[in-house]
Amino acid sequence: MFLKKILSYGKQEEKVLEKIEKHVKLLCFACDSFHIAMAKDDRSLMREVIDLEREGDTLRREIISTIYAGAFLPYLRPDLSRFVEIVDRVFDSLEDTAFNYLDVQLPEQIIDECVRVAFLNDKMCEMLALTFEALLEGEDLREKALAIRIYEKKIDDIKFSIIKDIRRLPVDNFWEGRILAEFVSGLTAISDTIEDASDHLQIIHGGLRS
Amino acid sequence: MRVDEFMTTRIESIDADHTVYDAIERMVDRRIRSLLVNFSEKDKDYGVITARDVVFKVLARGANPKETRVSTIASKPIVCVDREADVTDVPPLMEKSHIARVFVCEDNKIVGVVSLLDLMAASLIIRARGDHVP
Repeated sequence: MFLKKILSYGKQEEKVLEKIEKHVKLLCFACDSFHIAMAKDDRSLMREVIDLEREGDTLRREIISTIYAGAFLPYLRPDLSRFVEIVDRVFDSLEDTAFNYLDVQLPEQIIDECVRVAFLNDKMCEMLALTFEALLEGEDLREKALAIRIYEKKIDDIKFSIIKDIRRLPVDNFWEGRILAEFVSGLTAISDTIEDASDHLQIIHGGLRS
Repeated sequence: MRVDEFMTTRIESIDADHTVYDAIERMVDRRIRSLLVNFSEKDKDYGVITARDVVFKVLARGANPKETRVSTIASKPIVCVDREADVTDVPPLMEKSHIARVFVCEDNKIVGVVSLLDLMAASLIIRARGDHVP
């Protein structure tokens, strides 16, 4: 493992990296569950996404406390913690969006596009997991970061067409309209945060090499 | 990678009896380079009109786009692939048919379109996944 070679690598560090990997994989599982729940309109699976956020929260606390209990050299700690916090923000967005999904009846006109965004979020998260693995192995992250940006651009394009569609839809009352708007902006913002996480991995990678 | 992972699902279309001016307006407004042409939705009879058709077959010849029907310059039939087809199957098809986009179909219904840019993006994703590096 690349990090092992260049850092004072011990049991604590190994534990942290294993847990970060687990955290990212849990996020992939949450994104996948979210996509399936939307595609099948499976509301109980959507509730499980909310439970996964809590699991992610527990993992985040464990990672941060292990880091500040002495794992890794002090200059690396804030960067690793920041990455974990960004991943946690994705969990938060997924949770909020899952809540909104359970609270609103999606208009027929935008269901397919929303399912497609959920699918691309899932693929993007898989790529983030690959990017983290590549960082551990000391590989170049450029191709993976580019792939993440491509997915993000694709989601952005879909976002604008969904917004165009919902503008034309009649809204029965203020709260229904607001929850629908929050659902769409939450669903399409997940990719922005995954992109932030990928960018941060590149910063960590650059820092380790310099 | 399957084509449905990377297709564009939003397909803009125009009826065959509309004018080329309407088509230009829609392409410029939506910032797209092609439109699906509905000759008969009932019979699933479709064609395609591209920015290239508009420029070379109408504007370059000095024809009036307000007096030219989409049906006169649209290409038919459209080229389709199955949504489960692999993205690597698409470039040879495009090369053979001299086209820059293929439609993705399922049960006789058009569900998406894959363009040259989509293929380039898909190839970068495949590389990043490490599935296949040509």
